[in-house]
Amino acid sequence: MSETTNQVADNTITIEIDGQAVQVEKGSMIIEAADKQGIKIPRFCYHKKLSIAANCRMCMVDVEKAPKPLPACATPVMDGMKVYTKSKRATDAQRNVMEFLLINHPLDCPICDQGGECELQDVSMGYGRDVSRYVDSKRVVKDEDLGSLIATDMTRCILCTRCVRFLNEIAGTDELGGIGRGDRTNISTAVGNSVKSEMSGNVIDLCPVGALTNKPFRYKARAWELMATSAISMHDGIGSNLFYHTRNGDILRTVPQDNDTINEAWLADRDRYGVHGLKAADRVTEPMIKENGQWRNISWEDALATLVDQFKKYDGNDIALYASNHASTEEYHLLKQLFSHLGSNQHEHRIDVTDFSVADRLPRVDVKLADVSKQQKVIIVGGHIRHEQPILNHKIRQAWLAGAEVSSFGPVAFEQTFDLLHDFVGHQVNWVNQLASLAKSVAEITKEFPAGALGEWVKAQKTDEDINHLAKQLLKPETKALFVLGQVSQSHPQANTIKAITAWLAQVTTGQVNEVLAGANYAGAYLSGLHCDQDIKQNEHRMNVVYQAELQDFADQASIKNSLTNSDFSVVFNAFCDEDLKSRVDLILPIALIPELTGTLINNYGDHQITTVAQKAPGSTKPGWRVLRVLGNLMGYGDFEYDDINDVIAVTEKLAWHDAVIHQDVEPVEIEVKGLVLYPHRSIYDTDCLTRRSAPLQNSPLASSDSVYVNQQDLPSIGFNAGDLVSVEQDGRYAEVTLVVSDEVPEGSAMVNLGRQSVLNLDSSNLNVSIIGAQS
Amino acid sequence: MYQVNPQNTDKSLAMSLLDDKTRATIDTWLAKYPYDQRRSAVIGALHAAQDQNQGWLSEEIMKAVAEYLEIPPVWVYEAASFYSMFFTQPVGKNKVAICTNISCMLRGADKVVKYAEAKLGIKLGETTADGQITLVKEEECVAACIGAPMMIINGHYHENLTEQKIDELLGGLS
Repeated sequence: MSETTNQVADNTITIEIDGQAVQVEKGSMIIEAADKQGIKIPRFCYHKKLSIAANCRMCMVDVEKAPKPLPACATPVMDGMKVYTKSKRATDAQRNVMEFLLINHPLDCPICDQGGECELQDVSMGYGRDVSRYVDSKRVVKDEDLGSLIATDMTRCILCTRCVRFLNEIAGTDELGGIGRGDRTNISTAVGNSVKSEMSGNVIDLCPVGALTNKPFRYKARAWELMATSAISMHDGIGSNLFYHTRNGDILRTVPQDNDTINEAWLADRDRYGVHGLKAADRVTEPMIKENGQWRNISWEDALATLVDQFKKYDGNDIALYASNHASTEEYHLLKQLFSHLGSNQHEHRIDVTDFSVADRLPRVDVKLADVSKQQKVIIVGGHIRHEQPILNHKIRQAWLAGAEVSSFGPVAFEQTFDLLHDFVGHQVNWVNQLASLAKSVAEITKEFPAGALGEWVKAQKTDEDINHLAKQLLKPETKALFVLGQVSQSHPQANTIKAITAWLAQVTTGQVNEVLAGANYAGAYLSGLHCDQDIKQNEHRMNVVYQAELQDFADQASIKNSLTNSDFSVVFNAFCDEDLKSRVDLILPIALIPELTGTLINNYGDHQITTVAQKAPGSTKPGWRVLRVLGNLMGYGDFEYDDINDVIAVTEKLAWHDAVIHQDVEPVEIEVKGLVLYPHRSIYDTDCLTRRSAPLQNSPLASSDSVYVNQQDLPSIGFNAGDLVSVEQDGRYAEVTLVVSDEVPEGSAMVNLGRQSVLNLDSSNLNVSIIGAQS
Repeated sequence: MYQVNPQNTDKSLAMSLLDDKTRATIDTWLAKYPYDQRRSAVIGALHAAQDQNQGWLSEEIMKAVAEYLEIPPVWVYEAASFYSMFFTQPVGKNKVAICTNISCMLRGADKVVKYAEAKLGIKLGETTADGQITLVKEEECVAACIGAPMMIINGHYHENLTEQKIDELLGGLS
């Protein structure tokens, strides 16, 4: 017998539950053993992902030789233990607990949103008495406003504290607590704050009663009227698994679907509430054409005929395509096929990137998502992971809870859910220099500099004590750090330099690198070939195709506005079209968003996942792949004979993931900035067309605002005060916003919220801005 | 087991609201526990803050305590609202708490309450008009059953209460 088998054998013991022998790990609890065996024990406070509280007392079981019933969630298994979950002593105990739990619980199930999917209701059907013996008055708890996402009916609360434990252990924000004592205890923020976690919606799923429910879903439907559709989230590169719940073909809410390798049992608020943007007022439902400056609806036939005419008018490379990263792989594949026939290589999905000096590639992912929580040391390089991929941030937090050290380089002292060992903060030029200093410090110890121009640039940096400390830590033989390259790096004008330094650091310190890229399907678009070796918006095109993208999705918004205006013809395939985009294009084709179509998303970590259609798209909206297929036929291309989506999936499922290499032979460019250094921040709910339109998200405390954030130290030279309406000036263009002073923003930096209409005049690639008086 | 999550490191409210003596007292409590179990210092800290703040804990001062201890404010509210020795509303200069738990009740605590209420002209939980005495709303067993019925005046135990003794005790307060 090998050593490992021995270990396994030593770790396992056998207990008996209701006469069935169960093999369980030493130190686990009776309830885990029962769950493993499929033996049902009623519970309210126990949750497999949370710590054990043992305060609801519902899971009482009868253990042989024990003098009284024991809580199954808090009783460790012992070899040879005999447990009875259905004996008289067990069921008597459960019935008694049930009676106490129901004493103060209101009998308002008919008007309670939880009715029909309520753990208390289910268990009381099994264990409750038909008639209550309780004759005194029931307690009433005042409700609190927890914000736009969570509705409260605290009188229904049975004090299981799952929500309190979730916020403390998983979300890391400690916003709720048990206030008061005994029968007067209530779960509350105590001072009327709203819950600010980016994962807050999970308390709705955790609440075993109707105390915390989904606010936008309130009074919309009954659980038994809903149909669940298995789907994938379109808001980030995690690809969280979820269910859309629909009634009569309308998505009413979103709930998580367990997937232990991806989102576990959780869902970020963005993935839960994004769908509430689907019905926004500027949804396009019919094809529209602009004639003499007037928009009118036209039929799909006429629209596609017009488009075919336009395509035939221009030479291949006169036509450019800009696609966002939240469409399906099938759409990308058909777009690529179309553009190959048109003879154009001017197609790009990296619309939120500003550094095109290195060819497009897959993200480098050395550590699988599920293994991030096992890392000992994490270095975040240019990223606010909490807002970029909340689930990844959760995994980093899990690593930190298990003792990992986390350090960060970035343009803002972001609020984190873990302590940072080092937080190297500087404006967009400065923090990159600090990262280069780390490389210098490491190089001076190892006596080996990066090759070529990168090495020269690193040599020119200055080091300090903190940097040297981190360098020494990284070089310890036992340290195997994970460098997480965030989206701040991805969109940075020096992106490839940042990535090259990071790759070199990982190489010499035996570390690993994970890149976090924006969008749910960056990999799908890349693998389909929708990229170009140049920055295509620098070229002049006579015709533009914009696919599932709005101006706000671009990093260089001012430039793209120019490109659209200066071409002869621009067509948009979109679900939404706001006035800013409308005024610059000639034809709008309404296509479905991810919740309304079936297709493949390839996440940041290489998982191909199929999302299925949950609701029919409104009006004449069609799934994009269908439109492109018909377009291919009309153009007379022979290879567009797909009968249904499965024929396209048969092609895209062969797109194989491969390990990516980060190129280190880059030419670092020193960026010179005269005034303030721009930091265009992509806030958590400004990531795509749906989150921008979701009222619950936009009304929540994490929503961004039309502001420019500066450090107190810069106020005298700016000459305005906090709260003033000012203009952020860049190259003669202005963005009007409110001036806000923030400690989190370093000196010399001006942070604006990219993705908001107010900053559409700014380009992310140009870091030079100044703050002047409002122009209007 | 609870987690101690990253906290706001800004201590400006704590430094402005808590005086030197209070902070020194909190420091002695903090020194008794490991840093990751600093939550344990909350009761000692709340006593100190309450003594400084005319015998009660305002929302602001509880926030200041949380800041000083580097723990989430809600943990401070939880402790302050749980224990009967902490007051989250303004109180009189003297706090009179009559035990009404089982032993005292059997030895006539209800009569003591009635007598004290009549004498002071206020109900349990209220404060006399001159702001001198607060009758604490609720006091559970404080482990002085041997001298039941009993009351606690400003932290000091007074046992084997009679009407005469109550007169003396309450009379000495105003």
